[in-house]
Amino acid sequence: MSPRSLMLEVAGRTLYWLLLAASLWVLYRGHNLPGGGFIGGLVAVSATVVCAVSQSTELARRRLLFGDPRVLAASGVLASLLSGVVGWLAGEPFLTHPWVSIPLGVGSFDVSSVLVFDLGVYLAVWGAVGGYALLLLELEPAHDDGGSP
Amino acid sequence: MAHSTDHHENEHAMSLAERAAFALLPFSGLGLLVFLLLSRELPFALALPWVPSLDLTLGFRIDGLSALMLLLITGVGSAVFVYAGGYLAGHRHQRRVLALLSAFMLAMIGAVTADQLVLVFVFWELTSLLSYLLVGFDHESAASRGAAKQAMLVTGAGGLALLAGLILLGQAAETSSLSGLVARGAELADDTRARIGVVLVMLGCFTKSAQFPFHFWLPGAMSAPTPVSAYLHSATMVKLGVYLLARLDPAFGEWPFWRMALTGVGTLTSAWAMILVLGERDLKRILAWSTVSALGAMVMLVGLRGEGSATAVGAFMLAHALYKAPLFFVAGNVDHGTGTRDISRLGGLRRAMPFTATAAVLAAVGMAGLPLSFGYVAKAVVLNAKREEEILAIVSYGSLFVGAVSVAVAAVASIRLFFRSAPEGGTVDAHEGGISLVLPPILVATIGIVFGVRPWLIEGLLGQVARSLTPGPGGPVVDLELELGQVFYSVAGTIAAGAVVFFVWEPLHRVVERGGALLRPYGAQAFYERALGDLVKSAAWLTRRVQHGRGSLYAAVLVFAIVLALGLAFAPGASSLAWPAPTSVELPVLAALTTISAGALLACVLETRLVLLLASGLVGYGSALLFLFTGAPDLAFTQFAVETAFVIVVATVLIELERRRRARSLLEPRVRPFAALVSLGFGGLLGALLLAVSALPFDDTLSRFYAAHSLPDAHGRNVVNVVIVDFRGLDTLGESAVVVFSFLAALPLVAALKKRRKEATP
Repeated sequence: MSPRSLMLEVAGRTLYWLLLAASLWVLYRGHNLPGGGFIGGLVAVSATVVCAVSQSTELARRRLLFGDPRVLAASGVLASLLSGVVGWLAGEPFLTHPWVSIPLGVGSFDVSSVLVFDLGVYLAVWGAVGGYALLLLELEPAHDDGGSP
Repeated sequence: MAHSTDHHENEHAMSLAERAAFALLPFSGLGLLVFLLLSRELPFALALPWVPSLDLTLGFRIDGLSALMLLLITGVGSAVFVYAGGYLAGHRHQRRVLALLSAFMLAMIGAVTADQLVLVFVFWELTSLLSYLLVGFDHESAASRGAAKQAMLVTGAGGLALLAGLILLGQAAETSSLSGLVARGAELADDTRARIGVVLVMLGCFTKSAQFPFHFWLPGAMSAPTPVSAYLHSATMVKLGVYLLARLDPAFGEWPFWRMALTGVGTLTSAWAMILVLGERDLKRILAWSTVSALGAMVMLVGLRGEGSATAVGAFMLAHALYKAPLFFVAGNVDHGTGTRDISRLGGLRRAMPFTATAAVLAAVGMAGLPLSFGYVAKAVVLNAKREEEILAIVSYGSLFVGAVSVAVAAVASIRLFFRSAPEGGTVDAHEGGISLVLPPILVATIGIVFGVRPWLIEGLLGQVARSLTPGPGGPVVDLELELGQVFYSVAGTIAAGAVVFFVWEPLHRVVERGGALLRPYGAQAFYERALGDLVKSAAWLTRRVQHGRGSLYAAVLVFAIVLALGLAFAPGASSLAWPAPTSVELPVLAALTTISAGALLACVLETRLVLLLASGLVGYGSALLFLFTGAPDLAFTQFAVETAFVIVVATVLIELERRRRARSLLEPRVRPFAALVSLGFGGLLGALLLAVSALPFDDTLSRFYAAHSLPDAHGRNVVNVVIVDFRGLDTLGESAVVVFSFLAALPLVAALKKRRKEATP
């Protein structure tokens, strides 16, 4: 990626954070409106790809949560798995998600372990697909001009 | 062999206590067995639940035949463990041998006591596997590895045949237990499944017991350490085939086919091995061929029908173990003391190795079947069994020949090695081994003499063997004392003929050696090697054809296969397809469809990879638009995100390739008829499927259920998301795990690719 575009690089810096914020928003609103962990994760992957292309793959890799796509992806699956344990410990079948209403004065705010589950999906997709993308982007070392087979 | 390291005690030496600990296993097994035999009535059975839903039990049953096998396994096993302790003393892998031998012993015990068809197979295969590890023990030698592989392939292929046969027989007899199969076997004569099953089981037994034409693996297996050869390839494992045939004989013994196959193959093996033995100079290989011959004789005896044949099988098995195991030990001692097993270089060893000489004589007396040995008793019983039956003249001539050569082999292993003076240039430097090397052969051979002098000691057990092999209640009464006198002249004749063979051994050897060299290209061994070579060659050819490494062709073939399979499956319903009634299409949907079509058409005519990728991206975005306008915003959202990430990543890689002028190598010819055909076919097929599906009435039970329950039960208004994270949460969990696993699986691939590139551009 040596002949780098200046505009892309500058835009990429802001775009990365914007995309990441968007991905979190998509994740959060998913329960009631189009969105959710899977789509959110993919948006986060786009953010990683933008960072890798406009700046560097090393930076994109460092900026992944936990700094390592393997750990990130694995922690996602683990989060999903553990979210199911909550209901199970309460005597319900595994992956039954209990809901708790937090009164806020005006209306209330409902939270559930299902959010953790969706967050797990988000992290797993971000780590795995983002890791894939980084692998492919790193495959061709830019400094190597040999043109050998 | 082991003797090179044997004299120097080194860091690998095992203490006496450690050796004793290993030997404790067979000795305690033997003690337990003798205790059980003396204190309880046979048979006894044990059944533990295993997989009740599949009607599988861990069923074990010990009757007379099993008890006899157990006696061989633990009795000879005890001697082998003591002997191996001395034979491999100081060898760096001595512990490994003893550990493998222990595992083998347990597998053998399982194989001869299992009463459940699956268990029989499992233990059977375990013995093959452990035999492989033990034959290939000297794994740094190519010959040893080859022999191990050969033994494994031959007995392993037979094991698969056995599995298939046992399954078929089990289905035909509607039972999963061996004893149940035996009880019902007689009713199966007209069942085709049972017939095929019997043939397959026979194949398994013939390979295991080295019957013609699978006899060739056993001499090769002699590359194992001598205690292993004595135990696995003479006393126990190779008798498993005979054991199973004998076990099934009450069920299928009345079938003419069974009788003919067993007597025919057994006689042929027995005689052919005795011809081959004359061509050998290596003492262990001589003993191996004579073992093959003895196994053939046992298979033949199983095939005989008379009442005495059951007793004969049992007596011969026992006698063979009692003389052949000590002879193997003798071969090991000779190898150990002189450094060679070549009989043409050996002679006059009685002075240097008096104890081994004693063992050799005691064992040879049994092998030759001289009076006052258990070999004589066995011979008498066998002759009686044959006399009860009208057998073909060729079989009796065959057995005269076999008997004569066994006598000669016994004489070679005793008189020639120990009492005839050494040949010119033969080895003079010989020494006796330690007590653990001389005691086991002397002891085992002496037991053979004791049973010969006092046959009633073993009469009870042989009676049990006969009872377990005879259909119906009761069974023959075994009286060994009575039978001895009647066969004296026959035995004397065999011994006289054997003496003649012994004295003309050298000329016979030269003739057989020369003949063997002529026949070798047509023999079973050569066939095996050719087949193995051809297998590798054809696998290489097929791999080159199928794994050509061209991704586009892989994809085309894959899609072609799908079109072919689905097309054939749905072709009958093609005539009933009807075009859907024309409806008005909204403008946004039309625009989306146009985008998709434009992208697809562009992808067909464009050549530059990068533009091609963008065109395919157009198809993706068009689909996303379509989803968006037809009420699936979630899907549209996902499609957008996937498509974007995909296009960016692939484009980056392609640009990089282009920059390095490597893209040209990816170019395909402009017109590709096969690809066009496959694409059109696939598109047409999917179109037809869509028509067929949309013609069906839409069942909306599930959608209505989810729509109704999403908000009240799961607090979510986005039904799609609620389905994903809550209603079908377990599926989602599995799917995200799959995504992660696929990423983890890709890591080593990419690492390998990077490594290769690094090596290519130093």
